Amino acid sequence: MNTTRYNRQIILPEVGVIGQQKLQRAKVLIIGAGGLGVAVLPYLTAAGIGEIGIMDDDKIDVTNLHRQVIYKSSSVGKSKVLEATAMALELNPSIKINAITERLNHKNAISLFEQYDIIVDATDNLNTKYLINDACCVTNKPFVYGSIYKFEGQVSVFNYEGGPTYRCLFPDETSDFRGCNEAGVLGISVGIIGMFQANEVLKIILGIGEVMYGKLLVYNILNNEQQKFEFSKSTTVTMDKLSFEKKYVLSENPIFEIAAIVALKQINNPKVVFLDVRNSDEYPKMAIHSCVQIPLDELEKEWHRLDSTATLYVFCQSGIRSKKAVEILMKHNFENVKSIAGGAKKMDKIGYNKTASVSNSINN
Amino acid sequence: MIAVKYFGMIAEKTKTEGEEFSFSGMQLVDLLSTLEQKYQLGQLSFSVAINQKIVQDTADYKLKSNDIIALLPPFAGG
Repeated sequence: MNTTRYNRQIILPEVGVIGQQKLQRAKVLIIGAGGLGVAVLPYLTAAGIGEIGIMDDDKIDVTNLHRQVIYKSSSVGKSKVLEATAMALELNPSIKINAITERLNHKNAISLFEQYDIIVDATDNLNTKYLINDACCVTNKPFVYGSIYKFEGQVSVFNYEGGPTYRCLFPDETSDFRGCNEAGVLGISVGIIGMFQANEVLKIILGIGEVMYGKLLVYNILNNEQQKFEFSKSTTVTMDKLSFEKKYVLSENPIFEIAAIVALKQINNPKVVFLDVRNSDEYPKMAIHSCVQIPLDELEKEWHRLDSTATLYVFCQSGIRSKKAVEILMKHNFENVKSIAGGAKKMDKIGYNKTASVSNSINN
Repeated sequence: MIAVKYFGMIAEKTKTEGEEFSFSGMQLVDLLSTLEQKYQLGQLSFSVAINQKIVQDTADYKLKSNDIIALLPPFAGG
């Protein structure tokens, strides 16, 4: 190992030659080569982390350049991961960079995570964050979380030495949130939050300071207020290999989903019951004759109101909660349950109104 | 008095980062339904922290005077 290169951090007593060797032996996977990812990557690279995986299937867009500062204007259209890898290797040729030009999914997550010590979440959507969390639980890896909403950022380390997970903090998977592309973001925000994440990674590897597990840091760049919230491990949320497969293989299995246009053709079929799992205040209202409404939150105690032998088409606003509802109903031995892809929004778009009025006139 | 702090999309909806309410012995669920009526938080999902600690069971939580309640939505950007 070339210690001269790392001299200024080795002379810190908290690091030393032994700390530098720990960094060199460490393997870190960064998921996402966007704003957070490109903030984390150069610092971990320069610090001498021995092996870094960088994963993203995206290409560089001109609207990325203001915040994804390692990419050059001349690189627009090129693979983010390949450009990031070239930059990192130029910065520190003595480490190994694994370029992974795929998107994370339930099929590749477990085998990939098994090859690393620490997983860094630099993604921009909630579904992937839940997937990272669940795969980290199955493989027993710490999950270094970072996320942005406009001028605020959140940081935490989940599943650290069996500690609380993302699901303990945010158990409600059904929410639909906007990322940077829709909400807007400054490059500075992702830079600051990425630095907090890189800092947690180094602390975990070096065994120094207090790793931020069981705590959520919220940082506001407009007033520089920083707050920490404590949370504990929830006993109701567990994720092992079996529940992982059940959850993801089931929900991605097309046989449990039905296209809105196909479902709507059954709107007059008396044997088909439509189940609306939205709350009563959500629009558009669906004027479907054989429609039962049970909000998702109440389904666990109200499912017995439904006939478990009937064909059930479940919908919500956009098709996320209805998948969860299908999981719940299947657990209670319902056999013919499908989630309507795209939910009420999709049905509304393809003109269910016309169909529904036909349905009403027949029933009247 | 009790103080309520808002973050992320919640603060955007309430158009303030925080406010105070006079305390009348209400439970957390009462406060949350008051806020729901006032701001139509609707589909926004959030976790609730009281005095910097996340409350997992909001249903039976009794508030005390001077409590600071934070509404924390998950962020998704990166």
